[in-house]
Amino acid sequence: MTYQEFASRAMEYAEKTGCASSELYYANGESFEVNANAGEIDRYSVSREAGVSVRVSLNGREGYAYTERIDEPEKLVDHAADNARCIESDDEHPMQTRQTYQAVTRADSALKHMTESERIALAKRLEEVCLAMDPRVKRVVYCTAGFDSGAVVMENSLGLHAERSTNSSYLYVMPSVEDGAELQTGFAFRMGADAADAEGCAKEAVEDALGKLGASPVDSGCYRVLLKPYAVSDLLSAFSPMFSADEAQKGCSLLAGKEGEAIASCLITVWDDPFDPVAPRAFDGEGTPCVKKAVIENGVLKTLLHNLKTAKKAGVQSTGNASRKSAASAVSVAPTVFRLEAGKHGYADLLQALGSGLVITELEGLHAGVDAVSGDFSLKAAGFLVENGALVRPVSNITVAGNFVSLMKDVIALGSDLRFGMPQGGYFGSPSILVSGLKVAGN
Amino acid sequence: MILKETAHAVLREAQKSGADYAELFLEDNESTRIEMIDGKVESANYARISGAGVRILLGTQSAYAYCADIDEQSLLETARAAAAALGEAKFAPNGEIQLTLTRFTTPVKQRFDTIGNAERVEVMRTGARVMKSASSEVTQALVRYLDQVQRVTIVNTDGVFVTDERPRTRIFLQAVAMNGTEAQTGFEGPGCCRGFETYRDIIDVEAHAIVAANMAVTMLHAPECPAGNLPVVIDGGFGGVIFHEACGHSLEATAVGRNNSVFCGKLNTRIAADCVSAVDDGTLPGEWGSINVDDEGGTPQRNLLIENGILKGYLIDKLGSRRMNMPSTGSSRRQGYMFAPTSRMTNTFICAGADDDEEMIFGMAEGLYAKKMGGGSVNPPTGEFNFSVAEGYWVKNGKIVSPVRGATLIGKGSEVLLKIDRVGRNMWMSPGMCGSLSGSVPTNVGQPRIRVSGMTIGGKGGAIE
Repeated sequence: MTYQEFASRAMEYAEKTGCASSELYYANGESFEVNANAGEIDRYSVSREAGVSVRVSLNGREGYAYTERIDEPEKLVDHAADNARCIESDDEHPMQTRQTYQAVTRADSALKHMTESERIALAKRLEEVCLAMDPRVKRVVYCTAGFDSGAVVMENSLGLHAERSTNSSYLYVMPSVEDGAELQTGFAFRMGADAADAEGCAKEAVEDALGKLGASPVDSGCYRVLLKPYAVSDLLSAFSPMFSADEAQKGCSLLAGKEGEAIASCLITVWDDPFDPVAPRAFDGEGTPCVKKAVIENGVLKTLLHNLKTAKKAGVQSTGNASRKSAASAVSVAPTVFRLEAGKHGYADLLQALGSGLVITELEGLHAGVDAVSGDFSLKAAGFLVENGALVRPVSNITVAGNFVSLMKDVIALGSDLRFGMPQGGYFGSPSILVSGLKVAGN
Repeated sequence: MILKETAHAVLREAQKSGADYAELFLEDNESTRIEMIDGKVESANYARISGAGVRILLGTQSAYAYCADIDEQSLLETARAAAAALGEAKFAPNGEIQLTLTRFTTPVKQRFDTIGNAERVEVMRTGARVMKSASSEVTQALVRYLDQVQRVTIVNTDGVFVTDERPRTRIFLQAVAMNGTEAQTGFEGPGCCRGFETYRDIIDVEAHAIVAANMAVTMLHAPECPAGNLPVVIDGGFGGVIFHEACGHSLEATAVGRNNSVFCGKLNTRIAADCVSAVDDGTLPGEWGSINVDDEGGTPQRNLLIENGILKGYLIDKLGSRRMNMPSTGSSRRQGYMFAPTSRMTNTFICAGADDDEEMIFGMAEGLYAKKMGGGSVNPPTGEFNFSVAEGYWVKNGKIVSPVRGATLIGKGSEVLLKIDRVGRNMWMSPGMCGSLSGSVPTNVGQPRIRVSGMTIGGKGGAIE
């Protein structure tokens, strides 16, 4: 059965069984990934996938069902209707009608026009460059190049029709370095148009690893801290549910009802920018046209992020932040491309402003050591000890603890070095930030 | 059910570029997820994941291709896509592979496809009601329910031809306690590899709901945990996540076979204190992390990892076995057809020891009692791990003086294992989802109550009097 047949039969059947409206979300894609190890292809994966989700509205309630077998559309609609029947929440969840969208073009990413053997050669070169860079580089833990492409088609019985295609390229490596009995690992990645930059990626990763040699904890205490971009973007990502109107309406966000209030240092402006070239898109997971907006402007919370359901409940317009993590997931709320606006200071300036304290380059354990409800975090960290504006030595095996909301208030200065973290279900970017104090556990 | 002839043709197609091993994995996975907020069903979703993966090996090189279509034509194309990784053929195996079908099933009293949403919702409602009524400070009760049946067929050129049916269900209970500006959460997430009878025979939803609610309320009144390097008592059950992160991942062939583990070359040497023995056992009936057959068609077993502090074994899959020149241990797992399998844990635990639970706390001058752990992660090459303490208590002069929130424990696996100085007598396990190269798989972690003589405790609190 073709997908088109499946879609029209599903929508017809939904109407016949009394559904007020029905919607289909179809996603397909192809992927390629290769991991090099000791000059050989160590892991290699290619795929072709497709799946369709049907969402129905029955007696004011909505139900979902998803399948990867493009057959028996009636059975899928029955599953969705069954699910709609057990919903008890009274929240209305409207479907989007036909819209016109801004033309958005996503640039071809670096691996798109490469042949398979060129992609394999890229992964192998990444490993070679790492190994050649310094005799202390003994091996790579992983060394991966990949390319994904895909398309999404949304249509519903209210006339919505939205389509997009995407492609993404990535390259990442973790070299391990040894010096005597000491072992350290480093990491770097490249994505999009930069994903063929094996040399830059290798250099950054090896420098990261070498920079950690000789690291040890510092004494426990409160330190002034300069958080590098990846550390901040990881925190932004982990605490992004705070900005969701859905979490706020469930009573799970400290930012509920704070629109218009100062919640952060006046230096802080945070953008939700769906048109950012890093991952531009014209419509959200419900087919609502995307819009660029400041979420925090000069410290003031301007808006929470809404989909059609939360907007209806709050009596506002959707902000175009409906999200579907995958075709199999229900509609939720998430940022599009979320970034903290960069400041003017260079790294040397920021070190001077830090004076004595810590530079934190990376945070670990973000899936466990953060509480998006309370804003608290306590995370394993690594970086450098700084005295009088100069790096003294690398630091590891410490934790930094604080609260995200307090942290946003304690920002003293912003760097000019905006960078996006490795995408893990979302795009989060930040410059370095200097904060007045974080609690550190070490010796 | 795939025809033997089709499977045979797919395997031989996959070997055309010279692979010495080929394997076909077919999956048909149906799941139902329901979410309830404050006693009202908020969302319900059904999903059917279905597809196939073909893997080939040539020595220690591997390639994997997968596809959502499972007709013969697509399977052959997928086989060709995997074979393409090795380029031109020099020699391709042929001849008949002897395939004899073996069917595995998990004993189930109430199949999920005989259960309506109303019955699922009833179980959830009990959890929500009990959490909400446990305390007026519980402002929100969230319940998530999952059941799924994963049906797999595994065929390979070693003559494996098996099917397995794997039912699993889990209920996640989360209570949020709030007072004005602060919010804290408590949670429980019991699960089994059984049918819906789980909620009648095994899991007491009310009891778990009370634990979740009490945890949220206790933490709401807890000061921040102080930071420092002190002794830590870690309770049984989910406390086993320390072993899972600090040691388990570093014993997987994924790390060991590539020389990326601190435990490489350490077999039969001391890696832990005398009082520590540990096991990974995929054969325990009905447990969340159990498997009837592993994802390469291998037989799961009870794998002794550490005996009285001495390293006795690793967790090895087929590819790892080739790299390490050791037999596989029935430890090959994957989330589904979108992942090539690799060495993973099943039910992993520190075995019961000889120490008294109460004495561990009485005998402590100052430190942390971590009653319930949150999640964590590890960097296997260095063994550095971190995990969060979801419910902690500060101990002074042998007495619990206050609950504490926001604690994190960090360290190096190789060091912490040697610092375990007490192992209690009563071992139990808790379920979790473990993420690694081959996706997210259900695993149990477990241990009796243990004590570590010193660990770095992260937190932002001041001294507790």
